[in-house]
Amino acid sequence: MDARHDLIERSVAPDASWIRPDIFSDEALYRLEQERIFGRCWLLLGHESQLPEPGSFFRTHMGEEPILVTRTLEGEVRAFLNLCRHRGAQLCHEDRGVAKSFNCRYHGWAYACDGKLLAAPGEQQLYYGELDREEWGLIRVAQVESYKGLVFGNFDPDAPPLADYLGNMAWYLDILLDRRAGGTELLGVQRWRIPANWKIVAENHVGDEYHVGFTHGSQLTRPIESRAAPAPLAREIRPELGHGIGVDIIPEDLSPGERGGFDEEVNEYLRSIAGEMTERLGEMRPRLFPIHGLVFPTLGMVPILNSIRVVHPKGPNEIELWSYCMVDRDAPKRVKEILVQRSVSAFGPAGSFEQDDSANWTGVTRNTAGHQARKHRLNLSMGLGHEGEVDGLRGEVGLTASDINQRGFYLRWVQEMTGGPA
Amino acid sequence: MTLVDAQLLADLHYWYAREARLLDERRYDLWLETVDAAIRYQVPTRYFTAQADITDFGAWTVDRELAQASDVLLIDDDHAGISKRIERLQSGMAWAEMPPSITRRIVSNIEPGEAQEDGGIEVFSALLAFKSRGPDERSFLTAQRRDLLLPADGDFRLRRRLVIIDDTVLMGENLSIVL
Repeated sequence: MDARHDLIERSVAPDASWIRPDIFSDEALYRLEQERIFGRCWLLLGHESQLPEPGSFFRTHMGEEPILVTRTLEGEVRAFLNLCRHRGAQLCHEDRGVAKSFNCRYHGWAYACDGKLLAAPGEQQLYYGELDREEWGLIRVAQVESYKGLVFGNFDPDAPPLADYLGNMAWYLDILLDRRAGGTELLGVQRWRIPANWKIVAENHVGDEYHVGFTHGSQLTRPIESRAAPAPLAREIRPELGHGIGVDIIPEDLSPGERGGFDEEVNEYLRSIAGEMTERLGEMRPRLFPIHGLVFPTLGMVPILNSIRVVHPKGPNEIELWSYCMVDRDAPKRVKEILVQRSVSAFGPAGSFEQDDSANWTGVTRNTAGHQARKHRLNLSMGLGHEGEVDGLRGEVGLTASDINQRGFYLRWVQEMTGGPA
Repeated sequence: MTLVDAQLLADLHYWYAREARLLDERRYDLWLETVDAAIRYQVPTRYFTAQADITDFGAWTVDRELAQASDVLLIDDDHAGISKRIERLQSGMAWAEMPPSITRRIVSNIEPGEAQEDGGIEVFSALLAFKSRGPDERSFLTAQRRDLLLPADGDFRLRRRLVIIDDTVLMGENLSIVL
């Protein structure tokens, strides 16, 4: 056991009923996260709809690593470190587009969309024809897999397949991803920096319904006394493996559209796809309305507002949040417009909800960093020992609100961080 | 170059200076009176975009870098949206602005563009917006505003505003103030 191991175990209670503030600010923990969390977990790269044709590409990040995602001429999705093998210069500088090849601006090495080295200036005369193009292709992300449109990458060649990694969470993701034959598309992206640790943002997405009544008080009309009472038709669900989701259970006398508070045009659309949803998802899942969720470690979602987001870490005290809108690909154009506008008004850097979230996350990160604050524990005990099961739902279930999913998140964090070298 | 009506330019300078002061002083109700009922207020996302496919640089536009019609914006408000934004700021529970940020908007480079058919005037300007929430939370941003102003009773009403922020990744935690 090294000192880092002690720090990890000291940071989270064995039952995750508390955490220590070190977890939000310690530099050594953060460095280890890059290796053990972001180096081994499946991370969202984007969506197949962002790569509509051969040669399509976009840039993103996996942990702190700059990544280039491409569609090859054969139609396969690949991901690479966005750097030239010659001297490590940044290869692609555009955010997105279509390219036949990627040419390094430093010395001119050129790569195909599948990562192969196509040419290096002076290959015959200066390298005497001895440069092995096969060996010096782009550095590939070891594994790239799609789950119903969402594209994930994993640096670890020995990591389990994506479906195993998602586990029971996939059954819930299907409510969003697989409800229509045409699947979904991802629009955006809004990108902004927040001086906050990535975990306080991730844990907010995984299970924090408790904050809604207070943080988002400016957006709520229900009386303040009722905001801390258990919501009778909502549950926090910990499917397994550190993922989490919160759902509303739609009562029999309401349609999903009525529950979601959508415009009539959207309600009409939702009524029109109800049969298809039941056919694809069965009777139970169309009656679950996902509100928020997280695929460990950093794929957050607020499905009730069509928001999908990735928390990119930029140091212990900084994140870059990338927020997209996800809509059914075959929804009418007008429905997509309404949903996107609704999403943007609430979420994103100027959103009526999210502005106040970012203020909280910044405050937690800054104010827990002090020597005195770090001596004390932070409470994560809501609903501990009261986790249960609900017929037909997969995973452990808690009230809305509960810290059940946050505890699952931090326990998974400890597991990954203490797992030792792969 | 076309010569500009000196009176028009003076009127615009006055209008923009007053608008900036109303917002910096948080006189939102007075500011809303300068906004037309049919306002569209948009802040697009922006992307680093290739030049390689451009052969005619006369055809280059900043618009190539902006979110396309079906894409996600940072702000996309109509009059109801902007009114709700103001109500939120006045709700006493908009924590990102409680206590209110200290702000300063500097508006410059005011350039009248084409007169529109309905008598409106297109106006380009440059915005420098500073926001302070104490020494740990200070941010600057610069942007181009592309406005459509409608003359009304010796004054102008803001009919359309497109704010093109000069960043692809927004710095400074959130966009909690009106730009």
